[in-house]
Amino acid sequence: MHSKSFISRRRQLLVAAAATSFAFTAAAQAQDIKIGFNADQSGTAAAELGLAARHGFELAIDDVNKAGGVLGRKLVAVVRDDTGAPPKSIQNMTELIDSEKVAAVIGPTNSGNALAWLHIPQQKKIPVIVPVATATDITRRYVAEPQNYIFRISMVDREQVALLLAYAVKSSKNRKIAFIADSTGFGTQGVKDATEVLALHGLQPVAVEKFGPKDTDMTSQLAKIRDAGADTVLIYGLADGNAHTLRSMEKINYLPTAIGTWGNMSTVLLNTAGKKLAEHLVFATSTAEDSHARATELAGRVRARYPQLVTFVAAAQAYDSVLLLASAIRQAGSADGEKVAAALEAGSGEVQGIIKRYNKPFSKTQHEGLGVDDFHLGKWKDGKVVAFSDAITKSITPADLKR
Amino acid sequence: MSNLLQAVLSGLALGGIYALVALGFSITHTTTRTLNFGQGEFLVAGSFVAVGTLLLLAGKGYTGVLAPEDVSFGRYALALIVSLVVLGLLGVLLYFTAVRPFFGTSGMAWVMSTIGFGIILQNTALGLWGAGSVAMPSPLGDQVIRVAGAGIRPQEILVLGVTAVVMLALDHVLRRTKIGKAVRAVAANPQAAALMGINVGAIVVLAFVVSSSLAGLAGLLIAPITTASVFMGLAIALKAFSAAIVGGLTNPRGCIAGGFLLGVIEAGVGLWRAELREITVFMLIIGVLVIKPEGLFGQKPFEKV
Repeated sequence: MHSKSFISRRRQLLVAAAATSFAFTAAAQAQDIKIGFNADQSGTAAAELGLAARHGFELAIDDVNKAGGVLGRKLVAVVRDDTGAPPKSIQNMTELIDSEKVAAVIGPTNSGNALAWLHIPQQKKIPVIVPVATATDITRRYVAEPQNYIFRISMVDREQVALLLAYAVKSSKNRKIAFIADSTGFGTQGVKDATEVLALHGLQPVAVEKFGPKDTDMTSQLAKIRDAGADTVLIYGLADGNAHTLRSMEKINYLPTAIGTWGNMSTVLLNTAGKKLAEHLVFATSTAEDSHARATELAGRVRARYPQLVTFVAAAQAYDSVLLLASAIRQAGSADGEKVAAALEAGSGEVQGIIKRYNKPFSKTQHEGLGVDDFHLGKWKDGKVVAFSDAITKSITPADLKR
Repeated sequence: MSNLLQAVLSGLALGGIYALVALGFSITHTTTRTLNFGQGEFLVAGSFVAVGTLLLLAGKGYTGVLAPEDVSFGRYALALIVSLVVLGLLGVLLYFTAVRPFFGTSGMAWVMSTIGFGIILQNTALGLWGAGSVAMPSPLGDQVIRVAGAGIRPQEILVLGVTAVVMLALDHVLRRTKIGKAVRAVAANPQAAALMGINVGAIVVLAFVVSSSLAGLAGLLIAPITTASVFMGLAIALKAFSAAIVGGLTNPRGCIAGGFLLGVIEAGVGLWRAELREITVFMLIIGVLVIKPEGLFGQKPFEKV
């Protein structure tokens, strides 16, 4: 056993050495294709998104390999945890690209981390597909470069606001809609997006209130929103702030229609607001476990490996990211970053993913694989995220989705 | 009207927490002229020791999710005792490692060492429980009680009740008992107190035990309202310190009043412009420091020659 592997390794080395002088690619093709995964799996509240994404990522790689791999080579997962810390995330990125020589990276969960290291894969020409982080700017930063290496299969802040407000405008009886957002960059950008989108519907928010990211009592702000007569409130913050907003609503006995971003798909919201109060909130999601059979099947497989799964959507998005990447590598005929990025943009036939059937999802100028048309509304039900639909959601037409 | 009542009720509940932590500042300041700048992290330690205890009692290991049925009144009381004991011991450790070595030296080394002690505590909690916030259900349930259009949760009433009891008890002990008189004697003049046969060293350790336990108590009380988070300490400690300055660092009653005052002002300003809350609070402190440096209820320090 020992000697055999030694010989085969030596033979590989010999082959590689002989090949180096005239064909780098020949040596590379004999190896597996490494795909990096860099996301928070332990540090912040986003860790459960990262864990779900990681299992979706690994299952997709298993499935691709079971179907014969890519270009006759196996895909190999190289997983790194950035603990939600930008310095660690940067370090992981450098290590994955320089030492592990990955062909592409899937990640991260936190938008701040993505914005901290986008320049690294961009300079080193390594395609990245973002499966979770939602900041609108992530795919736009390098849009003017000859080749933008950053792609995304996830929710996008502006796009989910478009869906949420389409629902809000239809469901509001008095057409009085208010915003309450945290005072971070995330909340501020959200209010800006929401105000612009609402203006497209010919409306203005009747009240815009703020809360600190660590605040736990929003009764004063909500009292003002109630006095303004709003019957629908967009809550734009992270899960814990949103949970405290819901609790404050309960406290002052004011329970308007409440809508929020997909960050509410977090056990933090569930545990802090309590199961019953959490069910009051309507939020945007790309898919839910009960959306269709493909999703239910993948959710079952992820849950077998990771029983605490809540945010299935992250697993689905990471799964689809890998499928699109594999298809692009096949199309490019090599794992070379430049060619793969070009193939991602060119499209490579239809790819059946979990969320949808992708037909040329990206282009030179469009690096968002998902848009408002792919998003649905979701709700908590008995501690699980389920698809939400009623007469109003069914009446939303593409023309309502203004952005 | 109901909005105003709501703001006052919410403000009083948060103010109670500020008051408890402010009392802790006051006690060590009067007896040793030092402050534990890690007081906020002691509060964090208090709430996480309680979370850990409750989880262990529920048989879930020391990390995990607490369900409402895991927190009975008996278990909460037990968690309270464990928290107070652990925090009391931490207070002793703090005194001997971070305060006493710098006694009598003119520098401000104890400022840095108490902050450092707090950071060590915080990072220990971070390692054990992670960065996410942990919800702790209230032993009294979560049903909102309606008072004239405003809502208050049972845990907030508990905070108010406990703060009142602690305040009265401490007031009684300090003014009416022998040990309280000893504490006040040490505060007034340690040399003279020692000459009168008071064990100054023991009184000073006691002050740190009480101060730390108060922070722990505050942590245990606030966790069901705000959820326990490793990072919640600094903001609360800063407000509590402000409360102590406003009320008068040397006067325990003033610290309590300062705490409630700050809580209510914060909530009241929120009714007007939520984003101006911090600005208002800290402007108030600067104002008090300019007009009445010893605090609203503090005594003017005077030296007899």
